Amino acid sequence: MLALSITNGLVIGIIYALTALGVSLVVGIMNVINFAHGEFYILAGYFSYLFAHTMGLDPVVAMVLSIAAVFLIGIVVEYTLIRPTYGDDLYSLILTFILSIVMQSTFLLVFGPFPNKPPNWVKGATNVFGLFLYGNQRLAALIAGAAVIALFFAMLKLTWFGRMIRATSQDREMAELNGINTRRLNMLSFGMGCALAAAAGVILSPVFPVTPSAGVPVALTAFVCVVLGGMGSMWGCVAGGLVLGLVENLGAAFVSTGYKHVFMYLILILVLLIRPSGLFGRSET
Amino acid sequence: MLKVSGVDVYRGETQILWDIALEVSAGERVAILGSNGAGKSSLMAAITGVLPLRNGDIRFQGQSLAGLKPYQVTQLGIALVPEGRRVYKDMTVRENLEMGAFPKRGRPMLKGSMARVFELFPKLRERMHQRGGTLSGGEQQMLAIGRALMSLPELLLVDELSLGLAPRVTKEIYAALEGLGKETTVLMVEQNVELALKHSRRAYIVESGRVTRMGMSADLMDDTDIRRAYLGM
Repeated sequence: MLALSITNGLVIGIIYALTALGVSLVVGIMNVINFAHGEFYILAGYFSYLFAHTMGLDPVVAMVLSIAAVFLIGIVVEYTLIRPTYGDDLYSLILTFILSIVMQSTFLLVFGPFPNKPPNWVKGATNVFGLFLYGNQRLAALIAGAAVIALFFAMLKLTWFGRMIRATSQDREMAELNGINTRRLNMLSFGMGCALAAAAGVILSPVFPVTPSAGVPVALTAFVCVVLGGMGSMWGCVAGGLVLGLVENLGAAFVSTGYKHVFMYLILILVLLIRPSGLFGRSET
Repeated sequence: MLKVSGVDVYRGETQILWDIALEVSAGERVAILGSNGAGKSSLMAAITGVLPLRNGDIRFQGQSLAGLKPYQVTQLGIALVPEGRRVYKDMTVRENLEMGAFPKRGRPMLKGSMARVFELFPKLRERMHQRGGTLSGGEQQMLAIGRALMSLPELLLVDELSLGLAPRVTKEIYAALEGLGKETTVLMVEQNVELALKHSRRAYIVESGRVTRMGMSADLMDDTDIRRAYLGM
């Protein structure tokens, strides 16, 4: 029971971390809070369902296509909706909130209220360390999620694009003085933030099928992760995601499933009481 | 090389600079002096494209900089050592320098320019893998200069180099700047008038957003008004 809960917590935690990284990236670079983040997660799930189920593509090809499609849609959203609002953060807040509602209603119109599930990539179950039987699809989700996170961090550390992101989130004006076209970087990072949500969406949707409104708790959890881990810290997102995933599942297993979401906020409040800037956040000085 | 003519600059609705005119020729060291809030840093911001020009023009090697964004100005060969140094605190010394070489003109020479910066400031080599935020003030200033040099600028703008640094450290860094040679033209803004006059050939004095005096640094150093107003002698 303990080992099973921990594994469940890790699977969910990695997905939380992935979604939170997208939020953190967009907040860090653009100072925009994307309320429609969860809807991009769901959108990717629907795309993946369409490509794999309706069009009959290979599940992995369908996943990659879905992420690419959401990335492009993210870029279009930045260009048309977010770009005119720079200078006043409140506008983008309201705009993405409206976008979230519009997207949910569109999902409802197009796909209906029923859960849609892309096909599994793998079948069967594995006996983990001889302790319990665990669905292969969930294990695959854990590995895929961890792989995407590792790729993202490698990109941040090793590529020029990664350095651009880190420099700009630390000092936007200085980065511009160092030759970075921050306007274009905004567009790319918004697309990338959406793509990270999409990656989480395609990875988890075979396990938890998508419904039109299922993105709301996803985005909410991602925001909690970002605050818990510490605003602006990418490692904080990963730590925050894993902590939330574990606490939620252990709490559900040993206390009550009814309080599943209470644990999340309990942890948030406790951490903020002791470290107001989050687990890895630096205090403002 | 740099020609500023009739420049008016506003921050919001407030006018900060009035009809600024100044000129820097290739290979020269020129200082802009003035008290706190006189508009020296705003002038730097106007040259680098951070603040837009309301009137007038700034030309660099014959090309107008009006309307260009900071990242475009950098590509032309102007690099800024900003006030307060502004190193990337969470990036290592090496990564900070690499960011300096981000403009296309600097990137192919990255290795060579980094070796040159390390030669100029050997301390940075020792600290290569340390995060920028962990350096001392003087080392951060060296890093900020090194980062600016990484783009192989023809014109180096230095804003308030001595601010918050111990006199000994300031002296060391100015000596290093002297060692840059003629191929880098330097325009510096400095509150420490004595220091600035010592390290420049010509100087402009800015008061409440206007250029009030200019001349050879050596002459200004001997001027009684200036000695009384800025040097307290």
